[in-house]
Amino acid sequence: MRDVAIIGVGMIPFGRRDEDSLLDMLAYASLNALDDAGMGDKTVDAVYVGNMGAGIIQHQTSIASSLVDRLSLLPAAADVVENGPASGGSAVKNGLLAVASGYYDYVLVAGGEKMREITGWRATDFVATMTHPEVEYPYGITLPGMAGMFTQLYMEKYGVTREHLLAVAMKNQEMGALNPYAHVEMLLDREGIFDSPHAVVNNPVAATPLHLYDLCPVSDGAAAVILCPLDMAKKLQNKPPVLIAGFGQATDTHTLQERDDPTDLKAVTLAAQQAFDMAKLKPKDIDVAELHDAFTILEIAESEHIGFFKKGEGGKAAAAGKTRLGGQLPINVSGGLKSRGHPVGATGVAQIVDITFQLRHELPKDRQVKNAKHGFTINFGGFGNNVVSFVLKRTEP
Amino acid sequence: MAVDVELEAVLRPIQYPMPPYPPKVITLANGKKMVVRQAKREDVPAILKTVHPCLFIERDYYDVVSARLYGELLAYYRYRVKSAYCLVGQVDGYLVGIVNGRMETEKVGISYHTLAIDRGLRIGSHLFAAKMEYHIEYLGQEEVLIVAESPIGFRRWMIEYPLEKTKISHELGGVESYRLTRDLYFAAKPRLVVGDRPVPKDLLDQAKKEILHADEKAIRERIAGLKGR
Amino acid sequence: MKNEIAITAFKCKKCGRIHYPFHDRCLECKNREFEKIKPQGNAKLLTYTSIYNLPWGFDQRFLIIGVAEFENKIKAMGQIKADSIDELKLGMEVRPSWESVRVQAGEDVFGLKFEPIG
Repeated sequence: MRDVAIIGVGMIPFGRRDEDSLLDMLAYASLNALDDAGMGDKTVDAVYVGNMGAGIIQHQTSIASSLVDRLSLLPAAADVVENGPASGGSAVKNGLLAVASGYYDYVLVAGGEKMREITGWRATDFVATMTHPEVEYPYGITLPGMAGMFTQLYMEKYGVTREHLLAVAMKNQEMGALNPYAHVEMLLDREGIFDSPHAVVNNPVAATPLHLYDLCPVSDGAAAVILCPLDMAKKLQNKPPVLIAGFGQATDTHTLQERDDPTDLKAVTLAAQQAFDMAKLKPKDIDVAELHDAFTILEIAESEHIGFFKKGEGGKAAAAGKTRLGGQLPINVSGGLKSRGHPVGATGVAQIVDITFQLRHELPKDRQVKNAKHGFTINFGGFGNNVVSFVLKRTEP
Repeated sequence: MAVDVELEAVLRPIQYPMPPYPPKVITLANGKKMVVRQAKREDVPAILKTVHPCLFIERDYYDVVSARLYGELLAYYRYRVKSAYCLVGQVDGYLVGIVNGRMETEKVGISYHTLAIDRGLRIGSHLFAAKMEYHIEYLGQEEVLIVAESPIGFRRWMIEYPLEKTKISHELGGVESYRLTRDLYFAAKPRLVVGDRPVPKDLLDQAKKEILHADEKAIRERIAGLKGR
Repeated sequence: MKNEIAITAFKCKKCGRIHYPFHDRCLECKNREFEKIKPQGNAKLLTYTSIYNLPWGFDQRFLIIGVAEFENKIKAMGQIKADSIDELKLGMEVRPSWESVRVQAGEDVFGLKFEPIG
């Protein structure tokens, strides 16, 4: 297996992009990544596109074929990778394996989703299609609903409080406000969303015990990365390549009800462990992490399952500022899904893009983790039934 | 334009006595204070400056809603609507949202429109709630007839309250109305109607001094731009 | 007439693990033979949530959904018949019924409902 490096990254601002089609967004992000890699008019050998919903939302299939055509990357191999909200992470993993195997040298991985062209009702229904079609979906369960049931149990078992969830929401919206690619630009005010009696309207219940500001927004967006073998990357006159030092992917039962302990996100633990083992690193070696905070509870629960904090300590760590920039382990400095947004197929790729920015030390001071060497991502599919994780490593020029 | 007083007496609809809506202040999710108060007839030209740019925003039916609101406010200004009123939300003096309606009879109110200029802060929810509060608690009406012209409105009013469906044709296009009764209102009040009274003097003075309008680009960006809250 | 709870769960003939929904191989021991079993008695509420912003197809303000465990250990999701989650607590007993849980294309879709009984 060859070492694989990220030699270019690209993203477009997430948000509500009425003017752009899904293909437009994928193309713009890909061109940004090709330019970042200094590829000019060169081509790639293969393209992987992470996307969950084009077939349902846009009534459009085979979007990887469309993308290579638009970008004039013909006759590159092209595949769509669909793994729910972890489609982006899975697409990167497929690209990584293709290069590591020695079969392809240059691979473009793009992830994108256009979710705002349908109403909130339809978007909620679209996302709910990942639940079990017979024993969950018919009841009207939604992903926030799954998260609500999980939070109920997690609070009970580990003492997570609304204060802890609030700390995550406020941190991530504060960071997102600094990120030009983030969908959400507003700083939250504790009084307005929690302390004041007016919060009952400003921050209503979404799925008990979660409230509106515990949830990520519905967004449009795309992100892309260019991969190639590390030894070839080093010969390029370009930005310092970032090594994909490890990855992991694990699955769990489709339904929450069949898990022996529904608060145990086994796939998160396993995916993270695999990535750390491959990278020969431990959680304490990580300098910056992008976690899948589609719901604030997930940032806390994942931070514990990955091993950054002990079970029951993640919420307290967030409330104590340990996961802020400058803290013990900055988490979601990009703003996370909570603020950057969660165009489902784009998220896993966007996490890699953000960690690459960090490891190349190219962010402005108010967002850069000082001397970041090792980064970590987790992309959470279904309700934890398919999880993809990466450890990235800075290479010194 | 000179007003023909005799003709006006024929053309002007009757006006029921309407007690004023007492102003209140609401803390928003970003910590800003929104003053909600009743606009005076002479405030209409200033309000229309903010409505105008919305006429050209298709997103979420802003064009339809703002065109109708523009007409309704103008008709109110020129005494062509029976017992109409307008409530506004202001943050730092800037107009961030407008709601309007009228009395059909002493018992029945008609809800017209809700236009949130600054989005993602539940301003529409707060102002719609203030409008219902006005009809039920201050005008003392038994019910308000309501329709939604956008999916967002439908979700906010019909589902969140929830309102009851009627067979009564609504004057906005003739679609069957939904109805807020006193009982429905008081059941929904604890979770939908908030605000503090009295409004601190400095905040109220600032709001009353001038209804400021954001520039057209800012309004467009806030309503139909890329970013969210 | 009371509808029968039209749920079939699958008990592994080798290790006894109960599956609902169906799996082709046992999640525990990979065995492919199962005994079909029906839920028995009342159930215990394991978790629940009150969901607002429902998907297309639901026009009520909120919906309470939970997961409960029957006396013979089958665990299943269902809609909870309560006006508010304030009436619920983890571990409480609920009575199952088989009723329309949504309407799709004009047709009732039947499923589990749970009514709190103490």
